[in-house]
Amino acid sequence: MMNIVWAGIFLASVFYSAFSANLPALSEALTESSSEAVEFVLGLCGIMALWSGLMEIAERTGLINSLSKLLMPFTKILFPNQRDPETLSLIIMSFMANIFGAGNSSTVFALRTMERLDADNHHRPEASNDMCTFAVVNMAFAPIFPVMAIQIRTELGSDDPYSIVLPSVITAAATIFISAALCRYFERRD
Amino acid sequence: MAAQIFSFLSAGFIPIMGGIIVLYGIIKKAPVYDYFIEGAKSGLKTAVEILPFLIGIFIAVNGLTASGILNMLDHLLSPVLKLLGIPVQLLSLMLLRAISGSGSLIILQDIMENVGPDSYAGRVACVMTGGCETVIYVLALYFGVTHVKKMRHALKGGLIGYLAGIVISIIICRFI
Repeated sequence: MMNIVWAGIFLASVFYSAFSANLPALSEALTESSSEAVEFVLGLCGIMALWSGLMEIAERTGLINSLSKLLMPFTKILFPNQRDPETLSLIIMSFMANIFGAGNSSTVFALRTMERLDADNHHRPEASNDMCTFAVVNMAFAPIFPVMAIQIRTELGSDDPYSIVLPSVITAAATIFISAALCRYFERRD
Repeated sequence: MAAQIFSFLSAGFIPIMGGIIVLYGIIKKAPVYDYFIEGAKSGLKTAVEILPFLIGIFIAVNGLTASGILNMLDHLLSPVLKLLGIPVQLLSLMLLRAISGSGSLIILQDIMENVGPDSYAGRVACVMTGGCETVIYVLALYFGVTHVKKMRHALKGGLIGYLAGIVISIIICRFI
């Protein structure tokens, strides 16, 4: 799937820039973006190590076990077959980091979750139901509370920078619900 | 008031969670520093592992933005939006949001500068940017750390969810 998507995007930009005599700009973007990716990962390395370190403490001391037992009723709705307490708490932490707008932290938890789900799936080349549900729902969870948007609104002198909070929360909640339902539907159809 | 509490929690997410975890560890008399180092090690390994996937995605996304193809789609689709009564300024944001998070923040600022942060289009733009995640990037990154080759319904589900978020934000801002 990713092969087709990636090749499609890449070839579309090459052909379109060739037709619109825009190749120099594309060439610059391609070289620049590869080093941008390295910079991004360097930035992520620190926060990744920070959270992985803290989560290791939480796991070994049993804090994670208690947390996931506490939130079991909620996670059971989305992941009815998932029993592993650490996977469940990573999922919860990922959602929570998203809710609080800590995007990079959420990425860390999400990647750890995917690693565990992959082991759960015995490293098979086909994604498990839980993997799909987690990826799709976590996307919808993204900044329920739009910190950056509020900041830009304040800078631009909005009368009420916070007026978008309620619609954002409702939109996100509805999107989460729809995404979860979609996954259930696709699972049944498979 | 609720918004302020939220801002506080949002800014304090890392220290508060970190504080709880370390305090709990100390109470349980665990070697917290040793555990931390061990976890940090494996975290760094994951960070390095995702680099090739990120380079692949950054190249595709930035190439697409630089090629100008999005502007072409913009021209092509704006009559459709007019017909539906949706502000055309939102179009570039809708297109870019699916592939680039940082790029769409710049567009968000542009839109609000042009139409005003409290206008209908300005508010929809804010809700739209907050409510959706960059689908392609998330999938490449998430599945990058797994052995998965077939993502099954993850792409379909993500894209439909993304569209749903856009539609809902357009509707909801009419009422609230």
